[in-house]
Amino acid sequence: MQEKHRKEEKLKTELLTISMGPQHPATHGVLRVEIKTDSEIVTQAIPHIGYLHRCMEKHSENLDYRGIIPFTDRLDYLAAMNMELTYVMAVEKMLKTEVPVRAEYIRVIVGELQRIASHLLFFGTYAIDLGAFSPFLYVFQDREFILRIFEELSGARLLYNYIWIGGVWNDITDDQIKRIGTFCDTLDESLKKYHTLVGENKIFISRTAHVGIMNKDMAMDFGATGPILRAAGVNWDLRKNRPYSIYPKMAFDIPVGTGEKGTVGDCWDRYFVRVREMHESIKIIKQCLAGIEAGPIMGKVPKIIKVPKGEIYMRTECARGELGYHLVSDGGKKPYRLKVKSSCFTHVSMLPAVAPGLMIADLVATIGSIDIVLGEIDR
Amino acid sequence: MKLQEMGDITEAPLTVRQYFSNIWEAISSTYKGMKITLKYVYGVKEVTIQYPEEKEELPLNSRSRLFNDVENCISCMQCSTACPVSCIYISAVKRDKDAPKLKTTSGSPVRLDLTMYTIDEALCCFCGLCTTVCPTECLTHTRDYEFSQYVLDGMKYDYLSPEIRAWRTRLVKK
Repeated sequence: MQEKHRKEEKLKTELLTISMGPQHPATHGVLRVEIKTDSEIVTQAIPHIGYLHRCMEKHSENLDYRGIIPFTDRLDYLAAMNMELTYVMAVEKMLKTEVPVRAEYIRVIVGELQRIASHLLFFGTYAIDLGAFSPFLYVFQDREFILRIFEELSGARLLYNYIWIGGVWNDITDDQIKRIGTFCDTLDESLKKYHTLVGENKIFISRTAHVGIMNKDMAMDFGATGPILRAAGVNWDLRKNRPYSIYPKMAFDIPVGTGEKGTVGDCWDRYFVRVREMHESIKIIKQCLAGIEAGPIMGKVPKIIKVPKGEIYMRTECARGELGYHLVSDGGKKPYRLKVKSSCFTHVSMLPAVAPGLMIADLVATIGSIDIVLGEIDR
Repeated sequence: MKLQEMGDITEAPLTVRQYFSNIWEAISSTYKGMKITLKYVYGVKEVTIQYPEEKEELPLNSRSRLFNDVENCISCMQCSTACPVSCIYISAVKRDKDAPKLKTTSGSPVRLDLTMYTIDEALCCFCGLCTTVCPTECLTHTRDYEFSQYVLDGMKYDYLSPEIRAWRTRLVKK
């Protein structure tokens, strides 16, 4: 009897709780994922956020409209230009400011360059997550060129404060336009090379195909946007479906996940959608460089900005998905409320639904493939 | 929830043909990748900058350490109002009527005497808003980026002190 009891005690099994992060290199920032594992299989994953909370929304209620722009930079520090653009467009729409055509062109050029820079960083870090180091160094050379151009334009490498209410800060020179043009040609070639190196690799395909599937229904249910939604096979891009700025003039395609190597909406699809998006961005930049007009870069904006009473929700397609600003004004110098809608927040909330049944290594691949920036999630 | 129910991906059983084709794919795709990486071993220009020995010149309008040329400052307080992190501390008193009249290089009269002009550069977010509002263009971002300190108070720059005013010859753009 006693022996039998002892035997049962030995056979007792229990789920193991592990904290992944906040200092884990695979979580891309300070995300903590509490995972319950059955041997190596994840049965539950709970993301804990808030380690990078900086009170941005509350803080912006005490700042004037120009002073908020540096804070919007710090939301998604890898795609700061897109963050500025959306906020500035919201204020401009409320002020009914007309932006000069040249400024609109420059905005689209820097916005698309920023998208490429962000996706290049995703490409590099995702390869690192899956064990390949050299692609990271290759893409950083290309990213470095973009950051250098931004530094010449705005004066900073990461947090630009370049797009201002009414236009842009500095004008782009002909020399820079020429350099961006040649860079686009070389990048088009080298992206194909990088894709052969990483995306076509058998080990990479085995690690990513059929892994972390976020299918169409799931993406729609959670309200996913951006590359995640497109990888799930939904043809939805705000640049095309709800056009803003000068995007209606541009000809480009929207890459959609097809499940080429595995299932629709798996990690490989999300990776490949981003790679193809970079090619589309290059197309847009080339059209902008050809069509840019001479003229002023700043519209007429009062010295002290007082936004008329009212509210607005402005959204654009950012590198990581839909970014929205809900701006409420009471007619004063400062906004009454500024709410940021972040796409990464939605994507992180999809983790508990995707994670069960994955291996721990596959969870790393899934977190990497949704490409989160914690600054935007925690705000 | 049973584990089998969680993942609905069921892999087809492996045939001998697939087994060998997998091996072939792995070898061929790795070979293709290795060909690309091997090209980087020779014939590619070095891009790494050996930092302390080699220093890169920053672009002309890059925003680094702030410098205020106090002789041209008219104490208008616009920089401290524009600053989103409030790191500029200014105080000024009215200039005596009898004192000799001063003018900035741009020609605007100096009506106030600065008693304090301090920037806490540890708080500064280098957004550049203060330099754009400056009417006499005395407050500028320089291209000087090496200013780490051992103590936090060392980041507080009193631009009225003679040793910091001595930077002028070195830093101000001509």
